[in-house]
Amino acid sequence: MLPAVVGMFPFGVVCGVGAVTAGASPLAALAMSLIMFSGAAQIIAAQLIAAGAPFAVIVLSCFVVSLRFLMYSAAMAPYLRPLDHRWRNLLAFLLTDQAFAASIHRLRASDDPRAGVSYFLGGGVVLWVMWQLATLAGIFLGSVIPPEWQLEFVVPLCFLALLAPLLRDRPTLVVIIVSAVSAVALDAMPMRLSMICAGLLGIFAGVVADRIGVSGD
Amino acid sequence: MTKAQLIWLVIVVVGAVNYAARLSFIAFFARRDIPPLLAEALKHVPAAMLTAIVVPAVVFASPGTLDAGLSNPRVLAALVAGVIAWLWRNTLLTIGVGMAVLWLTRYLVG
Repeated sequence: MLPAVVGMFPFGVVCGVGAVTAGASPLAALAMSLIMFSGAAQIIAAQLIAAGAPFAVIVLSCFVVSLRFLMYSAAMAPYLRPLDHRWRNLLAFLLTDQAFAASIHRLRASDDPRAGVSYFLGGGVVLWVMWQLATLAGIFLGSVIPPEWQLEFVVPLCFLALLAPLLRDRPTLVVIIVSAVSAVALDAMPMRLSMICAGLLGIFAGVVADRIGVSGD
Repeated sequence: MTKAQLIWLVIVVVGAVNYAARLSFIAFFARRDIPPLLAEALKHVPAAMLTAIVVPAVVFASPGTLDAGLSNPRVLAALVAGVIAWLWRNTLLTIGVGMAVLWLTRYLVG
């Protein structure tokens, strides 16, 4: 989970800077990270608040980018079933892109579900704490990182590191190609709907590829 | 409504919506079986969503400006980093090599 922390830290700094720039007090800027705990939603909320958008538009836009959590939630569900509901409720709060992508392999690969769940819990707590520290750095130190370093590129690289190893069979290749082409082709959609639509098209293509037997490893 | 009030309202409402989305199916499927077709589809969630997040961040030079050629340093950096990740499954190595390629390309191209 350490690599995931490296990936999200610059993102958290950007969220802190963005919130303050949008006119949030330091406490409110930190509360965004404490409560919303979603970089994509926080950036969009900050941009829309700065642009003077109405409340309904802000909430709807954040909801659209958070639709992916529905999918993550469904994918995690079978592994969290044996747990007490209080644990499920806590673990759900820790469900982020990084925690999901880093943990789902372990959960699938491991015979002992507790090992995977422990990894998700431990990693999720570390990510949440580091997210707050990164936000605080952004709030109080500002853009400490010179923009020409382009450190924001660490974020896609971190996701790429989780994505590339998944490419071990042909249906996954189909998923990646369809999802990539759709994400670019649909980019002009409003409210970043392209992300969730591209994901859904990729998943659909993967199911079709499984069915028609685009097999081979 | 003042701006401060708007910000706090957004924090509370979006926070609640996010948590509801995260908990949704974890709670729903806690007592029910997942339909087989859905389980099959969910297998592809990581690859599909990671691609949908990564690709636009790499190939758009600025919002709305597509530059998917190798003249875009991000595309070159992502391709090299992708191969590294595929071969070694090492995230820190992937990030290190990706950033090194990005900086080196900018330095060389100027």
